[in-house]
Amino acid sequence: MQDQLRAAREALEELWVQGLRGHELLKAHTELADKFIIKHFSGSTAARDSRGEIAVIALGGYGREELYPFSDIDLLLLHDRGSAKDMKEVAESILYPLWDGGFEVGHSVRGVKDSLSFAKEDFFFKVALLDARLLAGSESLFKDLLNRYQKKIFTGKRDKFVATMEQFRAERRDKYGSHAFILEPNIKEGKGGMRDIQAMLWVSKAVFGLNDLEAMVEAGMLTPLERERFMESWDMLAMIRNRLHYVSKRKNDQLIFEYQEEMAEAFSYTDTKGQLAVEQFMRHVYGHLQTVAVITDIFFEHVGEVLRRKGKDDREDVLEQGIIRRRGSVCLSGTENIREQPHLLMRIFFHAGRLGLPVHHRSRQKVRENLDLVDDKFRCSKRVTASFLAVLKESRDPESVLGWMLDTGLLSSYIPEFSRVESLAQHDLYHIYTVDRHQVQTVAEMHLIRGENPELFADLSSPRVLYLSGLLHDIGKGRQDDHSRLGAEMVLRIGERLALTADEKELLAFLVRYHLFLPENGLRRDPEDQLFINQAAELIGSIDRLNMLYILSVADSRATGPSAWSGWKASVLDRLYQQLKNYLSVSNREKLGFAPDGQDISLLIRQLSDSLAGEAVQVDVNKLPEDYLRSFTVEQMGKHLFYHRDMAGRLKQQALLFPEPERDCWSLLMLSKDRPGLLAKLCGVLSLHNLNVLGARVFTWPDKTVVDMLEVKPVADISFKEQNWLRLEEDLNLAINYRLDIGVRLYEKRKKFRTNPERHVQRLEKKVVVNNNISDRFTVFSVYGADNRGTLYHLAQVLSDSNLDIHRARIATEVEQLIDVFYITMQDGGKLKDKEELEKIKLSLLKIVEK
Amino acid sequence: MKKIEAIIKPFKLDDVKDALSEIGIKGMTISEVKGYGRQKGHTEIYRGAEYVIDFIPKVKVEIVVDSADVDKVIETIITASRTGKIGDGKIFVIPVEKIVRVRTGETDSEAI
Repeated sequence: MQDQLRAAREALEELWVQGLRGHELLKAHTELADKFIIKHFSGSTAARDSRGEIAVIALGGYGREELYPFSDIDLLLLHDRGSAKDMKEVAESILYPLWDGGFEVGHSVRGVKDSLSFAKEDFFFKVALLDARLLAGSESLFKDLLNRYQKKIFTGKRDKFVATMEQFRAERRDKYGSHAFILEPNIKEGKGGMRDIQAMLWVSKAVFGLNDLEAMVEAGMLTPLERERFMESWDMLAMIRNRLHYVSKRKNDQLIFEYQEEMAEAFSYTDTKGQLAVEQFMRHVYGHLQTVAVITDIFFEHVGEVLRRKGKDDREDVLEQGIIRRRGSVCLSGTENIREQPHLLMRIFFHAGRLGLPVHHRSRQKVRENLDLVDDKFRCSKRVTASFLAVLKESRDPESVLGWMLDTGLLSSYIPEFSRVESLAQHDLYHIYTVDRHQVQTVAEMHLIRGENPELFADLSSPRVLYLSGLLHDIGKGRQDDHSRLGAEMVLRIGERLALTADEKELLAFLVRYHLFLPENGLRRDPEDQLFINQAAELIGSIDRLNMLYILSVADSRATGPSAWSGWKASVLDRLYQQLKNYLSVSNREKLGFAPDGQDISLLIRQLSDSLAGEAVQVDVNKLPEDYLRSFTVEQMGKHLFYHRDMAGRLKQQALLFPEPERDCWSLLMLSKDRPGLLAKLCGVLSLHNLNVLGARVFTWPDKTVVDMLEVKPVADISFKEQNWLRLEEDLNLAINYRLDIGVRLYEKRKKFRTNPERHVQRLEKKVVVNNNISDRFTVFSVYGADNRGTLYHLAQVLSDSNLDIHRARIATEVEQLIDVFYITMQDGGKLKDKEELEKIKLSLLKIVEK
Repeated sequence: MKKIEAIIKPFKLDDVKDALSEIGIKGMTISEVKGYGRQKGHTEIYRGAEYVIDFIPKVKVEIVVDSADVDKVIETIITASRTGKIGDGKIFVIPVEKIVRVRTGETDSEAI
């Protein structure tokens, strides 16, 4: 017999394979257990011979005919006075076979009176009785129990029942709402899980006498649309839980990682471009949990309102035509108004945000039912945009307001791109929330940061764009390509609809594009590596943008989950931020590559002298220029000084090169006597030798020795050893002595490469910008052009021919666009301020890039 | 047997890890720590307001090795983690009395 039961359960597995799903499968399983129990009960001689009455009653999930593969079978064996003494034997005849059959059984043996008094004490028994179903035995005894149960337990105690139910609900949310359960949701106890469904059904049964969803719709507690969506989700969750029990071979309701993948496979999901099967599966799971959570939330709010209505203040404040405040929430005052004035759909969230009050559940339903009003006209309406941006920026509790906006579907209707990331899960331990929630959370974190650190927000040029970037930074997720890049393109279109200014759109795209820049580089790059800081600062451009990027990065990390954020990570990010801020705040310090921690210069000199340890050098270290001292480590400077001493003879005649491989590029030190056009010639020779220059710093010692430090990168993929450095040095010395015509050679080289791809680049901006303000000491020329071989040589040549000294050069490439930045002074060390002269040089430089 | 504790700059962790595995170090313990030494934290000036950074984020690497290997390991860590600038960190060497591998009960050198 027990073997039969096992075999039958295996048959259930067979039914699954054949495609029997969700509720049908539960029902089949229930019938199986019913038959088994009825058979044993009717076969029990003790039951047959008893003088009293006996009823075998199914409770809880089993009573509802929802028996999951490894769920408990809850039984109440009800007796009267006459049968009490026979119950031991009756129970044994039913329970033993069940136990042997591998079922988990929860049972009690009670009389009617005993049952009722226990139900008063124990809430779970009380609700279990709500689902009581007679399996076998005395119907009159069963009816007696039900009648007295209704009378004694519920009459006049509805409020308390609901309050207890809500309290349990809140406790569940608390316990199963923690991070771990969000990643690995509990299908039964978690938010939107089976318990939420049951709680709603129990309350409507016990308090309103409504026995099923149909009755609830008729009573107006649910809309037909809600019922439909609810049923679908309920069935899906039933299916998932069902399968989960099979997969884990025990009563397990938590969808832990290892099962998620197996489940996705069981439900026939497959990997697609950019999304794993398991991610698609979890997206649907989260979607269904969300549907249940939203509908049961609305239900409980409604119940609370009905029960607590008595004696409350019914005053209404009109907030604007069509929107009122009543009993602590914000409501739409009539459906007609929305049809005529669709912008109210957004306005209601604006008011709720501004006042810090909830949007009434009926109004949330109304918003959902009227989403057809959100058309292109709505999406481009200035009035709606203003309200929407104000919601982002000014809400007291943005998490709730945006959460409701998401739940009602308004957010995804208004920004259709958002629907792509709705409930989108990322299968890792890092991202706690689905992408849509994560973005809402990011906006909420931004508001928290504003509270903690108002200084950061003090002078932001466009806070609304910042908040928008929080809401949209991951919008490109779920597809194969780099989500930052993709997102940056998408937000340009969104910005267009929201009628942002050109600058704002650019800023929004920048923030989305680079939202991972700080966290990624904070751990990978030395925050004191000036080269990196300079490049990063140039990419970011201003303190204003840096502040926004920093706020976005912190908010994003904090909204990701505990493994993305810790005090330690915060300080790593903060250090990078401080370095960049220092670099960008020109008022405080010289901009170019100085030691940022304000070490005083005499200390640097002392350290340098100490490190020389009495060795003679041919330059007075006390007279070395300050920017030189700040640009190199003590070891590097020591090396320079020793080269200078040991190769003094050659240095008189030649320029010497000292290449070294670095992490991302090669550094190239050049020592030489000062000569006209030296840097230009060096750049030209480097081009001839297929080396790109990334940056150059030029220093002149008191004895007119020039120390140039360049970062170079090979054009072709060759190794440091393969590069012919000796030949390079020879060519440089030929050029210095006017025995190598760089111009002609470069021209010929260019001719050879006529057909190379650099001819086909997109149309590039070509311009020359002069700035006399961003640096205290230098005039800064920024030359925008295409990345052409030899351009640098010609540009440097022009500057040198104009009798200007180049102190720094930085060559940045941004998406095919080359930007050469030169920091120059006149021969006397002052800035070049003569307008006419500046214009002339600008024109000459422009001619080169326009060629 | 010695335990070597090295405090290094966070972005040097990968370099140090790679260098150590190259010389055959198989296991290590990493923690994210904060602290300061001679670097003393430092003051940043921003818009006239002083901004004091007290504790600087570092990574602590702990390795236990046979005494004979100590010098090699130290040298490797130094080479991999050095930037030449202030705040490059410190290395401590501490005698270890006993090691037990929990799973097998192996002790000392076998358990490293």
